[in-house]
Amino acid sequence: MKFIYKTLLLSLFSGLVFSSCDDFVEDVDIVDPTAENSDDYLPVEFLTSVYGMHTDFSYAFSYLGITDMISDNSDKGSSPTDTGTDKRALDNLDFTSSSVSVTAMWTQWYKTVGRASQAIEIAQNYEGQTEVPNARVIGEAKFLRALNYFWLVRSFGAIPIQEVDLVERAPVDEVYAYIEQDLLDAIDALPLKSDYSSTDLGRATKGAAQGLLAKVYLYQERWQDAADMANNVITSNQYSLDPDYANIWRETGENGPGSLFEIQARGEIPQHGVQQYSQTQGARGTNGWGWGFNSPSQNLEDAFNAAGDEIRRDATIIFAGETLFDGREVNAGVENPRYSEKAYSSINAGQGDGDKNIRVLRYAEVLLIRAEALNELGQSSAALAPLNQVRTRVSLPAITSTDQGSVRQAIWTERRLELAMEHDRWFDLIRTGQAEAAMAADGKTFVTGKHELFPIPNNQLVQTPEMSQNPGY
Amino acid sequence: MKLKITLLFLLSLITFSVSAQETKTVTGTIRDTRDVPLPGAELKVVDKNEYAVTDFDGNYSLEVAVGDQVRITYLGFQTQTFSITNDDVYDIALQDESSELDEVVVVGYGNQKKSDITGAIVSVDSEEITKQPATSALTSVQGKVAGVNIIANDAPGSTPTVLMRGLGTAEGGRSPLYIVDGQPLSDITSINPNDIESIDFLKGASYANIYGIRAANGVILITTKRGKQGKTIFNFESYYGAKTILNPVKMANADQYIQYFNEESAANGGFLLQQNQRYNTDWYDELLQTGTINNNSFSVSGAGENIDYFLSYNLYQEKGILEDQKYNRGTIRSNNTYHLFNDRLRFVQNLNVAYTNETPKPFGAFSTAYRQSPLVPVRYDNGRFGQSFVNQSTGVVGFTTQPGETLGRLNSHGNPVSQVYYQDQQINTTSLQGQIAAELDITDDLMLTTRFGATKYYATSKSFTDIRDQWLNADPNRTEAFFDAQRVPDEDGVVSTEYANNSYTIRRTESYRWNIESFLTYDKTFDKHNLSATVGISRENYQGGEFTESQAYDVEADPNLRNFNLRTSQLFNDNVTGDTYQSTNLQSYFGRVEYNYDQRYYVRAVLRRDGTSDFATGENNFFGYFPAVSLGWTMTNEAFMEDNGVLDNLKFFAGWGKLGNQAIPFNVQSINRGDGSRNTNYVFGPTQSLIVGSALGTPAVPLSWEVTEEFEAGFDFALFNRKLSGTIDYYNRLNTNAILNVRPLLNSEYANNYFDEAAEISNSGFEFLLNWRDQIGSDFTYNIGVNLSTNKNRVQNVKPAYDGAIGGSLGNGRITKRLSEGEPIFAWWMYEADGVWQTQEEIDNNTSIAGAAPGHLRYVDQNEDGIIDDRDKKHFGSYIPTYNYGINIGANYKNFDLSVSGFGVGGNKVYNGLYNTRIGGENISEEIFNNRWTGPGSTNVHPGADRDVEASSYYLEDGSYFRINNITVGYTVPEITNFINSARLYVTLQNPFMFTKYSGFTPELNQNGDPTNTTGIELSAYPNTRSFIVGANFKL
Repeated sequence: MKFIYKTLLLSLFSGLVFSSCDDFVEDVDIVDPTAENSDDYLPVEFLTSVYGMHTDFSYAFSYLGITDMISDNSDKGSSPTDTGTDKRALDNLDFTSSSVSVTAMWTQWYKTVGRASQAIEIAQNYEGQTEVPNARVIGEAKFLRALNYFWLVRSFGAIPIQEVDLVERAPVDEVYAYIEQDLLDAIDALPLKSDYSSTDLGRATKGAAQGLLAKVYLYQERWQDAADMANNVITSNQYSLDPDYANIWRETGENGPGSLFEIQARGEIPQHGVQQYSQTQGARGTNGWGWGFNSPSQNLEDAFNAAGDEIRRDATIIFAGETLFDGREVNAGVENPRYSEKAYSSINAGQGDGDKNIRVLRYAEVLLIRAEALNELGQSSAALAPLNQVRTRVSLPAITSTDQGSVRQAIWTERRLELAMEHDRWFDLIRTGQAEAAMAADGKTFVTGKHELFPIPNNQLVQTPEMSQNPGY
Repeated sequence: MKLKITLLFLLSLITFSVSAQETKTVTGTIRDTRDVPLPGAELKVVDKNEYAVTDFDGNYSLEVAVGDQVRITYLGFQTQTFSITNDDVYDIALQDESSELDEVVVVGYGNQKKSDITGAIVSVDSEEITKQPATSALTSVQGKVAGVNIIANDAPGSTPTVLMRGLGTAEGGRSPLYIVDGQPLSDITSINPNDIESIDFLKGASYANIYGIRAANGVILITTKRGKQGKTIFNFESYYGAKTILNPVKMANADQYIQYFNEESAANGGFLLQQNQRYNTDWYDELLQTGTINNNSFSVSGAGENIDYFLSYNLYQEKGILEDQKYNRGTIRSNNTYHLFNDRLRFVQNLNVAYTNETPKPFGAFSTAYRQSPLVPVRYDNGRFGQSFVNQSTGVVGFTTQPGETLGRLNSHGNPVSQVYYQDQQINTTSLQGQIAAELDITDDLMLTTRFGATKYYATSKSFTDIRDQWLNADPNRTEAFFDAQRVPDEDGVVSTEYANNSYTIRRTESYRWNIESFLTYDKTFDKHNLSATVGISRENYQGGEFTESQAYDVEADPNLRNFNLRTSQLFNDNVTGDTYQSTNLQSYFGRVEYNYDQRYYVRAVLRRDGTSDFATGENNFFGYFPAVSLGWTMTNEAFMEDNGVLDNLKFFAGWGKLGNQAIPFNVQSINRGDGSRNTNYVFGPTQSLIVGSALGTPAVPLSWEVTEEFEAGFDFALFNRKLSGTIDYYNRLNTNAILNVRPLLNSEYANNYFDEAAEISNSGFEFLLNWRDQIGSDFTYNIGVNLSTNKNRVQNVKPAYDGAIGGSLGNGRITKRLSEGEPIFAWWMYEADGVWQTQEEIDNNTSIAGAAPGHLRYVDQNEDGIIDDRDKKHFGSYIPTYNYGINIGANYKNFDLSVSGFGVGGNKVYNGLYNTRIGGENISEEIFNNRWTGPGSTNVHPGADRDVEASSYYLEDGSYFRINNITVGYTVPEITNFINSARLYVTLQNPFMFTKYSGFTPELNQNGDPTNTTGIELSAYPNTRSFIVGANFKL
């Protein structure tokens, strides 16, 4: 009897434990993959992360490879045995579609475009209260999207427009039209530099969008549009040239009078800047502070000397053994003869994060765009005014010739010296058709019909085999 | 045990000899359980000189006295003893030896007789496990189970990786499910191997399937020891061992290094080293020491009228082969069973407490020791640790320069001795694991079992980083004054933590799990029908837990004073982080029917319905069904096979089942966001304030558990009076929706990898298990076991965008693996090396990779397009062995016993990442130095000192190896006293030999087993060790 009683009790216990069974798993709040609600965040936060993309390490290494080292302005640098993954191959013009730097920038730019589109979409759909008008958020995002598409199209030619199709490569014209529309929208939406509150310093402005559009027109050889758009910037009275060229790259020159757009960086704790940008380009070896990559070339030094351009030479290049403006003595025993001074951070030398703002678009370039466009329109004498404005600042004699050919050459040279080590030279060489000759002069073989464009990264083609490759790769 | 019985006989003899009676002749027949007469069985009267041997018909006659004990021995059968009474005829049926067909096998929610199993299950008993001492019982089992690949890791306290029937999944749950006495556990490091009675490996789907959603990687059932009827047994076991590295690599010495360095440097226009430098450091000599193992176990077990008990204590202490590396583990186990109401109700209680105390040291030191130059001293004259500084102007290694001279570095690696020196960490863990179960015989045929089990785990890690000392030692030119000058707050009152004197981090982790289950078992035999049915329900909660981590700077350096309340400065803020882990709930229902007719025809069906709180599939359904069936036919039990004289057992079986794997990662649309310097944040404004932003990281892809379908078929057999027995089977398993960590399209908006159902993964192969055992004369017995299993791993039906996912990063921008349809999962993928460039002319006239130079490896232009790039890379098989095998030999001669076991794998390739990944200036092995290309015509196989760092087939080596795991010689001391039942002394050599062609340390490259990662690549593996152990075992 006692046994039966206990049997019942035990069975009852087993039964109780399992009552309402399925609820045990179904009533748990699981993580719904789609549920993380973006309404919890303001559109402006998504915009911030579009700007933030420009602080990635790609800009401190891969970007240098495909803009500077590849050109005649600089060499790979560092120690001879260190290939810097594919930097030596880029420097020697024998990179392939597997180049990690090319792949990195392709990916970096597209991911930035993606974030910009997300910010635009979120701002368009946002119904809550915001301090920042959604129109401005969209305008800034469109400027950044256009900037990244511009970098893509001038590097790869026909490319997929991410918002349209991920496989189909849109013709170059269509991509430029898309960029133009984004920039026109941005120009409408964005305030002038002076209309921003000071806490917004560093945001995309109307002037930045106009300056970029002028450059976009220049690349399409739409000379009149380029000249007009550059003129819009000039006549906006928002910008002027910093009288001290060298000051532009110092902490005191950040966001100076000539700055249209620059990538912002902070050197104090909490630090946040373009990851290792100054470090990769810092002097290597005895008392050095960096990896020594992207070493300005003898070719560049010669170009400065040939133009008698000491001011810009000394502002652009750190020479082994020199004493810098801040008193730092560069040891004569550093491993490379020259380093980029435009990447030098006085306060955060050698640190991964630093205060170095990267100057993306400057007023001097807008002047040179106007000069070039006017000259191509046959208005060579009108072109001299903006050109000489740039030259006068660095105490170079004014150009007086009005021969279109020699003015053209003078402008091209001016662009090289003014914008040296600012990640533009390679594209200028290709845009102006000087690449083959310049490379030959630098001892490299430029393959016409191939090297005008970078290859579509092989890893992209593995994912989307239907996408076509650029010629020669 | 035998000795103990003998002792009992001795005692009984004394009793009976008092009333000795007259002798008489008894007769009878000895048969087996199937009534077959056994010729040649030996009968012996205990303690008398009377014996007999059965004739061809199994008949015997023997002179005995009433009260005598007669012992019958016959190979392959249990020894049996009977007493002489007044009868004159004794017909005896001998039982097959227990390790064979009547052995009971644990199959999950119940047991089954081995003869009734219709699937591939392998049991390993305690004797096999304890023969090879190790912290984890699984390490002892390596090579003993066909189809179970156990990849050992000789680091103290580490867990081996277990792969059953190949690798079927890439993310998360790759390991099998462990069930200890019915209680699920995530691993068994907390279990003392001496406490284990048996381990059963459920390999095939038809058996593993009873564990449904977690069974896809196989199930390992562990049964711990319990008390047995009879005398109380005290068991003492102690062993002590010394450990050294098994396969050291001879590195180049200082002169060879200088030669190699200069050849490389000259080719690149770099500086040259002077000959005859001051130091010639052998880093492995400096780094490695002889480790020790010390293990002591004690247990007491027995049974009383209503209770049986087992209590054990174990202390395992190991010192690793790196200085101060320690691992100690203590375990206490108490297993009791209470028998109530004439044993109709039983309460079972198990309790296991395990605590560990560990001082880990960085394995990275092994690779640093490989790479650092012999010219660098361990310490400089000023006491600072040596670093790779070199005066580039003079070519002298050291940190001094004259004005204008360049101070550089030989390479970018640190000092391995300092790496070990500065890791100052203590990890303590406590694991409490308890279970209580009730078993109730409701009727003679019907039993109810209810169990509740729970585990609680605590871990505390305390690490101390001497920032100041490390900063000073990183560069001998650094001064304390400079460091101290940095410790002055700036205008914001901030000092960088880079210049804190030290940091102290305490991380506490706590986790828990519990399970409860209840099932009814019905067993009935009527006529020739044998029926068994089980139905049950279970519920489980696991993975719950939390951690907190606190970090403080500038605490007292003295280990006894390290405390968050005692600071040497108040310059820095503390960091505190913490999180809780959401637990997973599982709810399961299961049913099983087993039926056989006359032990000839078997059918078995299992159905499990499993629900998990982690995933909902479609229509908000959290549940899935996992069915399985298997069939069997024991041909030798058919009438026509009787008396066939050769085959003792032949059973065919086949099974099919569905298994789930729910240990896959969550997929949540991630929003990237966080403080500090990251690419979602940006600075604005004149003071450049850091503004936090957000970005969508991944798309939203709902996931569900993986489903694996498996088919197996095979047969068990025994021949020649069971001297030869074995199993041969085939398996084929397909993971129908393998979840992989996939990369979004490069040009799409999402940046983060995410998880998606990306492919199918199939594993198929054969398994062979053969055992031979025999006896020569009455003093010598031996057995030989051989097992072999093959595995073919293939990825199929990959979703297009995910094909070509890369893995196996070498950490230098080069990758070595790729996911491709038709290949093993994440198969090797790299350039095919084809000789060495001899001259520049040769390079100019052929297709070469960018930067090719004489002495570099030549790569094959697979697509013949005139350039070498990713499109010329191809697949080269996998790190996963296509077969593995084991050999186990045992022999007994009189009181001596010998066992030898070996284990091997083949068909795999491993990557010598240590050799490949050089940036420049690293040391090389002497073999590499001697083989290198030194000029045109010197070699067309090995690259020169100047070579590129591309991943290529040159560095991919045959990963096959054969290892003698264990050689043990034991001696069982003859009965000394009544007090000691048994005493055995033994000497064991663990891993005395390894046969491999691999040029690195060990081809047994486990890492964390993640196929996308560095598994199979030697970058900083812990080398295999060999041990010499002496031990003793006493039973009282």
